[in-house]
Amino acid sequence: MEEYTLPLPLITTLSKVFWDGCRENKLLYQHCRDCGRVIFFPKHLCPGCMGHNLEWLESKGKGAIDTFTVTYEGAPPAFMGVTPYCVAIIRMDEGYRMMSNIVDCDFDALACEMPVEVVFAQVTEEITLPKFRPAGG
Amino acid sequence: MESIRGKTAIVGIGEVPTGIYPERSFVEQAVAVSEMAILDAGISKDEIDTVIPVLAVANPIDNANMVCSWMVEEMGLGGSCKANFVCGSGGSSSSNSLKAAMGLICAGLSRAVLVVHSDRLGTGLDMGAAIAQFAVVSMSQEYEIPFGFSQLALAGFLQQRYMYDTGTTERQIASVVETLRKWAALNPNAMLRDLRTADDVLASKVISSPVRKRMMNKLADGASAFIVTSAERARELTDRPAYILGVGSRCTNFTATEGQGDFYKTWTPAADDAFAMAGIGREDIDVAELYDAFPTFILISMELVGLCGKGEAGRFFEEGHAAPGGRLPVTTNGGMMAQGHTGAGGGVAVLVEAARQVMGKAGERQVADVKYALDTASGGIGMDFHVGILGNEV
Repeated sequence: MEEYTLPLPLITTLSKVFWDGCRENKLLYQHCRDCGRVIFFPKHLCPGCMGHNLEWLESKGKGAIDTFTVTYEGAPPAFMGVTPYCVAIIRMDEGYRMMSNIVDCDFDALACEMPVEVVFAQVTEEITLPKFRPAGG
Repeated sequence: MESIRGKTAIVGIGEVPTGIYPERSFVEQAVAVSEMAILDAGISKDEIDTVIPVLAVANPIDNANMVCSWMVEEMGLGGSCKANFVCGSGGSSSSNSLKAAMGLICAGLSRAVLVVHSDRLGTGLDMGAAIAQFAVVSMSQEYEIPFGFSQLALAGFLQQRYMYDTGTTERQIASVVETLRKWAALNPNAMLRDLRTADDVLASKVISSPVRKRMMNKLADGASAFIVTSAERARELTDRPAYILGVGSRCTNFTATEGQGDFYKTWTPAADDAFAMAGIGREDIDVAELYDAFPTFILISMELVGLCGKGEAGRFFEEGHAAPGGRLPVTTNGGMMAQGHTGAGGGVAVLVEAARQVMGKAGERQVADVKYALDTASGGIGMDFHVGILGNEV
């Protein structure tokens, strides 16, 4: 595997569950069994009811672009060598938002509300990043 | 509970020119603006019994020193000062310090509060270190940083979605930059005082779509300070204090992902609270000092605070209504886009400008007959939203 030089996610007891899921090509999010709230980023307590009765569910990996930007210059230092790239906030069908990159696409054709679907990019032995591409692409 | 509307006032302000000043130290700036604010207020320094330094972004060591009463020592407040604590909420440190000062004074715990901000974003960190720092603050190391997020990308996100939702044109957004430059041309403390037209902005290259190079703010060195006291004491000091009539705030989120889509909407309840406390309407505002950093931020806040209708702010700027001579002057110091971005100080500068306009001390850019000024602030990556209303009578 080619050496991956961009920042890797911080692994904590909580984020490990999410990233372990990604390694198995599963996109996980939390759900509160008590109040029904959909939760992402993962939390220790339900921010709705302060309950601990949280479960992990698997997303279908479909959503729409809430907003996006294509960065040409002024990227964080580690990303200066990979410009241009698209970073976006995706509104998932399950009702939460996540940040990712939109790949395999024509940057000029991107638009808010465009449907997208997850694709998994293994970057190291341990880490697989969830990325998105235009749905049906 | 009895309202604290008009029970406190800003009576003194200080500000050094914003820019690139490698030989002007952090403490030199802080002392200079504190002295200015005390002289402007016309009070004895010994009346100041609370000092609130605002956390600096580029000066971690000086921050630590500030906690240890550096300003108390420098200004010789050792005999009178009873409280000294740092306010660190980024761009909203202005509003949070103001609220703390209001509370301390109304509770009878303090007579006069000095809020002082000094930072050196222009020269305190070398450019590489500054870029590296801003690349990671207020972001999730788990779920954002691995995807190349940046504060610049946030500006791209907001402008992209705002244009999509409202149909605001790029030219209208560029006209915000032009407007702020017109104000800065009248502000001797501003960094970028040469005129830049909307055409110049549109001719510059795209940095992080749809944000162009000339829509970006300028990191700078600067400092500002203000003094808050009771309305009763303010009337003894001056016939034109800036009474604090209303404040409203909402804190929402840490990261852009968690806040995106909803977080900016809390400008509206924050403003509702401020107007309800002040007992005035949107139409009463004479000048709006809106926190910027990027031009779209001003347009979004202007609409959500209720100073114009949804999707109308861009046209308002394009038609010149926010510029000198316009019907509602906006961000008359030039904001972070033109006065310069001094970190948390950008918010303090906006609040100081609101007080300055109400006190009638804005010189060439003084708006005629200012009775009520509105100011906004937000911190981090849109983590909170604050609206303040100042007036020259209770």
